[in-house]
Amino acid sequence: MCKSDNIYLPNLATIEAIVDETPDVRTLRLVFQDEQVRENFSFRAGQFAEYSSFGFGESTFCIASAPTRKGYIECCFRSVGRVTESLRRLEVGDTVGVRGPYGNSFPIEEFYGKSLVFIAGGIALPPLRTVIWNCLDLRDKFKDITIVYGARSEADLVYKHELKEWQERDDVRLVKCVDPGGAGPDFDGKVGFVPTVLEEAAPSAENTIALVCGPPIMIKFTLPVLERLGFTDDNIYTTLENRMKCGVGKCGRCNVGNVYVCKDGPVFTARQVKAMSQEF
Amino acid sequence: MPQIITEQNLRNLIDLLVKEAKLVVGPKLSGSVVLYEPLTAGSDLTLDALPRRSSKELFFPICEDILSYKRENGAMKVSDMDRSKFPEAVLIGAPPCDAGSPAILDAVMSWDYKDEFYLERRRKSTIVGIACTKGDDACFCRAVGLAPDAEAGSDLFLTPLKDGSYACKAVTEKGQALVAAHQNLFAEGAGAEPKPFVDQAVEKLDLVKIKKWLEEHFEDPLWEKIADICVGCGACAFICPACHCFDINDEGSTDDGVRRKHWDACGFAKFTNHASGHNPRDVQNKRYRNRIMHKFKYYDDKFGKTLCTGCGRCIRACPVGIDIAEILEQINSK
Ligand SMILES: Cc1cc2nc3c(=O)[nH]c(=O)nc-3n(C[C@H](O)[C@H](O)[C@H](O)COP(=O)(O)OP(=O)(O)OC[C@H]3O[C@@H](n4cnc5c(N)ncnc54)[C@H](O)[C@@H]3O)c2cc1C
Ligand code: SF4
Ligand code: SF4
Ligand code: FES
Repeated sequence: MCKSDNIYLPNLATIEAIVDETPDVRTLRLVFQDEQVRENFSFRAGQFAEYSSFGFGESTFCIASAPTRKGYIECCFRSVGRVTESLRRLEVGDTVGVRGPYGNSFPIEEFYGKSLVFIAGGIALPPLRTVIWNCLDLRDKFKDITIVYGARSEADLVYKHELKEWQERDDVRLVKCVDPGGAGPDFDGKVGFVPTVLEEAAPSAENTIALVCGPPIMIKFTLPVLERLGFTDDNIYTTLENRMKCGVGKCGRCNVGNVYVCKDGPVFTARQVKAMSQEF
Repeated sequence: MPQIITEQNLRNLIDLLVKEAKLVVGPKLSGSVVLYEPLTAGSDLTLDALPRRSSKELFFPICEDILSYKRENGAMKVSDMDRSKFPEAVLIGAPPCDAGSPAILDAVMSWDYKDEFYLERRRKSTIVGIACTKGDDACFCRAVGLAPDAEAGSDLFLTPLKDGSYACKAVTEKGQALVAAHQNLFAEGAGAEPKPFVDQAVEKLDLVKIKKWLEEHFEDPLWEKIADICVGCGACAFICPACHCFDINDEGSTDDGVRRKHWDACGFAKFTNHASGHNPRDVQNKRYRNRIMHKFKYYDDKFGKTLCTGCGRCIRACPVGIDIAEILEQINSK
């Protein structure tokens, strides 16, 4: 694409594949149309992008695929409004715009030699899925890997095919759960809320990093559980998903106090989050 | 030796600049209000009222296209806007509270990612500021570190003199160039005494103290007391020379259209609303608090500048009478 100093100009990408994860959550596999962009595009796990559906505008999603998988990127989004619904109407072969990658990322190299516990709720698995695959692709560098993932109901669990794969691997421990009332007769996971299920699963905090993503309410109830399990605020990572528009620290939308989530985040430690004004 | 320009020559200068195909913007009577508008002749310039909206929009328009897209033979094509077409511009007759705002906004527009829409307009513009002799009760530029005769942000600065002419000071190279290119309109000389500047009711505020108070009082009854009545109309942000929040939206069909950047305001209820329905600033006083915090704490934290020039516009415009200067005075006296 044209070399330009216009920071708002997206690269064009073709939808190569579509997976419907749940009735309202869809994954798009995107391939950049420009060969040079395709070769040079790189990102780190935890970064996000602005995806555009021409005629409707832009929406912010994390890059859900792993940086270790080259040649394409994936995003996974829930249809909730104008842009997401229009993205959902697109088909394989259609064009979307992608600006990014933006924001900071999970410091994966700092996690080498440690155990990892991933805790996700609902549609918040995508921001962790990028890290999970990044780490599974470098499996030797980590000790135990535990994934605690829950959704409202069985139907709301995303990446079902990958959950199955993680469940079958013997180098990963997956604890999958749904809220009370959300399980079908054949559900092979646990019934309960994520924080409760996490406490029961009781992963060791010894030399372990916890990565938490989910709705604010889930994070609020998960942090005390992690504390009881012995995790310190420096060993807990999360992402903030404030409403964004520019993604590059200009539009003044995403701030929590003087922290700009699009520039300083979206990845923060629990210590950083606790130091912020309670406005998120 | 200082330079002097007569009022007639100032108007002649505008005529010349217009002839040179420059975009000349200055206070102009537009219907019943004075606004910053393109001047077609020196006679358009009016200097006896503070324009209703600020001059910020010369650099940061209310709405501007940032790209266009078009489907051609089935393939989507995205095109950049041609910023080389932005005109050479002269902003003329802006008092310090307006002339000073780009100097503040440059910081956010140029850190890390560079907003070339704003920056290109800045590069191509010259600001002729003017000392202010016509403020009113709502003005408080002195309180935030500017002054009716502050040159900050101006390339060329004019001081109205009692005999009707203006003392000129070239503050920057751009200002010097403007004078040099039209030297015959300027005369050397000391000139008459300056006209009196505006008197301002508000004392100089201790911005360091205010910032410290804000740091320690994110939660405070003050916010409910003063800001629950805010109706979130956004008027204060839209007329402010320093507010820079914006939104980005597409206009057109899925096959052909433009993407536009346009002003937005943190006072609007949906500004921070998440798609989940969760809203970090769910009540109006939190949104107003963000306005004050952004201007007097966050912007200073990030860029070492206060995001307010004391123009008083938000005070004049607020439909429910929220007075930012009074709030700052209250905090200052705590
Ligand atoms: C860093 C980051 C990462 C993210 N990652 C993901 C991700 O991986 N996957 C994902 O699904 N989401 C993610 N999000 C959230 C995502 O950005 C939003 O869900 C998305 O932008 C919504 O866009 P939209 O245009 O479809 O919604 P909008 O049309 O803007 O609607 C948003 C909400 O407002 C309501 N609304 C809109 N207009 C009106 C109106 N006029 N009156 C009343 N209500 C209205 C809608 O019903 C909806 O609830 C992320 C956000 C951030 C900041
Ligand atoms: S906050 Fe009010 S007084 Fe300050 S610059 Fe903006 S409009 Fe003027
Ligand atoms: S002008 Fe007044 S009522 Fe309107 S948003 Fe600003 S403070 Fe609130
Ligand atoms: S998204 Fe615009 S400032 Fe963060």
